[in-house]
Amino acid sequence: MHDLATEVVLALRSGDHLATVCGAAGIDEDNRTGIAAVRVIGADLLLPSVLHGHHPHPGDIAVLHRAVREFPPRPDASDAAVWSHWGMMSALHRTASATAPGADEPNAAWLEGAPWQAFTHQLSVLAPLAVPAASSAVHRAATHRVVDLSRGFVRAVRRRNWLQAAGAGRWLAALEGRPDSLGLDRGLDFVELMGGTDPRVALHVRAARLMAEGRAR
Amino acid sequence: MTASVAAAPGGTAGAALSVLPVVLRRALGWADAHRAGFVLPEDVLEPHTEVNRTLKPLGELAQLCSTISRSTAPHTPEHATANDLITFAWDQVHAGDLLLELLRGEPFAAYPYEIYAAFAGFGLRNECFERLAGTLSATRGWAHTEQHANRELGLINSERRVGTAPHTDAGDVLARTWLGGLSEPWMFEGPSGYALTHTVFHITDWCCVPERMPADIDAYLRAWLPPWIDGCLESRQWDLTGELLAVAAALPGPPPTDLLDAAWPALATAQAPSGAVPETGPTASPAETAQAASSGGADPDPYPFLACYHSTLVTAFAAALSLKRLTTHPAETAAADTGAAV
Repeated sequence: MHDLATEVVLALRSGDHLATVCGAAGIDEDNRTGIAAVRVIGADLLLPSVLHGHHPHPGDIAVLHRAVREFPPRPDASDAAVWSHWGMMSALHRTASATAPGADEPNAAWLEGAPWQAFTHQLSVLAPLAVPAASSAVHRAATHRVVDLSRGFVRAVRRRNWLQAAGAGRWLAALEGRPDSLGLDRGLDFVELMGGTDPRVALHVRAARLMAEGRAR
Repeated sequence: MTASVAAAPGGTAGAALSVLPVVLRRALGWADAHRAGFVLPEDVLEPHTEVNRTLKPLGELAQLCSTISRSTAPHTPEHATANDLITFAWDQVHAGDLLLELLRGEPFAAYPYEIYAAFAGFGLRNECFERLAGTLSATRGWAHTEQHANRELGLINSERRVGTAPHTDAGDVLARTWLGGLSEPWMFEGPSGYALTHTVFHITDWCCVPERMPADIDAYLRAWLPPWIDGCLESRQWDLTGELLAVAAALPGPPPTDLLDAAWPALATAQAPSGAVPETGPTASPAETAQAASSGGADPDPYPFLACYHSTLVTAFAAALSLKRLTTHPAETAAADTGAAV
């Protein structure tokens, strides 16, 4: 999983339209351990192509398909796990191949009433859903609670929870209406420099920067 | 024990009001019962005497009780206790004569003036003190005293209280503070926290004039007090939590009820049955407290005076302000908590 996240970060940095994340990490459709790691990375497997605006590598699509099929949410899965799975299906659906059917959105009512601390924690776990032009009930909930998410970012930085801070920061980079005084750009730099040895932190920070640049254009 | 806003995240409506009267009564009761700790020693003016153990606690007692008095309704026991404690403190400084002696000993220091201002703001004056202090505060040297920006705001507020013209423009000084710079909220920590609470205390005359707070600082504080208070509660920084809650209760306009409802029950858990609130860390178990009480002084008090007088006074101060704001602005709009604009 560590290697896979590192490959996503490298692909985000290079912007190479021929990049294959799974190929670089030595994962193919028949590698069950690798596919389990893809399930953890989730929809972010295709993030480099989404943010750089090119078609994903067919090998990556095939592996993501496999992960969706082989690791469906269990009946007792958490809401976040159900949403993460939906996020993978949604990412596949948005690819040009569109071989996966669009799935109905899971319930997001549990997010509406969550205190801002828990809300930020859950949104951070669901950071792969923070991609441009991909609306979902989670995205809409985040849009309505930008100040709460900003507070959660502050809390996460102060608790040195770099992964949660990076995930929350990624959402904030994708949304309008955060308080200017938050200082998100410098905050993300700080999070990356303090916690960026975890490739998942680097992934979210890189995604946040690319989305901010895309919004600025 | 972990008392955290995270443990009771949203707070339930009315939760603050359900604990505040008891928290205030107990904290003020502790101060009243521990007057001996505030009594000035005979050698208070001697150079070897530590001001931080003598005049500082007494000045804080006068300062914070002054706001408590102004925030509580006449004829309530809390109002009467606060007024009694101010009278007690004024007696301790011999109606200002002792502060005059202090000033004569250190004529170019600001702290005698600041302690005096705590009383002057309550209408307790000493003509001879003001004659000497007035001469000194009209000098160029006084106006160019080198100090931190939030301390300079304290001096400006003291000048207002005494009734002399401020030596410089408060707005310029405010802009140099951590708070006035609308600093990145994720950089908040203990020292910046205390700097910002005192900036608010000085610009609002110890939370009695919230209207003096500029709109951008109001919105900034509404946005960021929740994560700061959450963090202070989680790390059991009770003293700073109390100061931040006083700030929350000093915002102009409707009070941030969600924040007060979430935080006050958590701070209340740190208060001992005696009313004492420790500055930081775990609170003593009931067994430890009972053991110390029954030992006739053989066992150390788990709440020694110097370790908890400040946090206990601050708790009473913040509780009185919160009670006043919540009872005079009931059922406010949700907009009070958003802080969306800054």
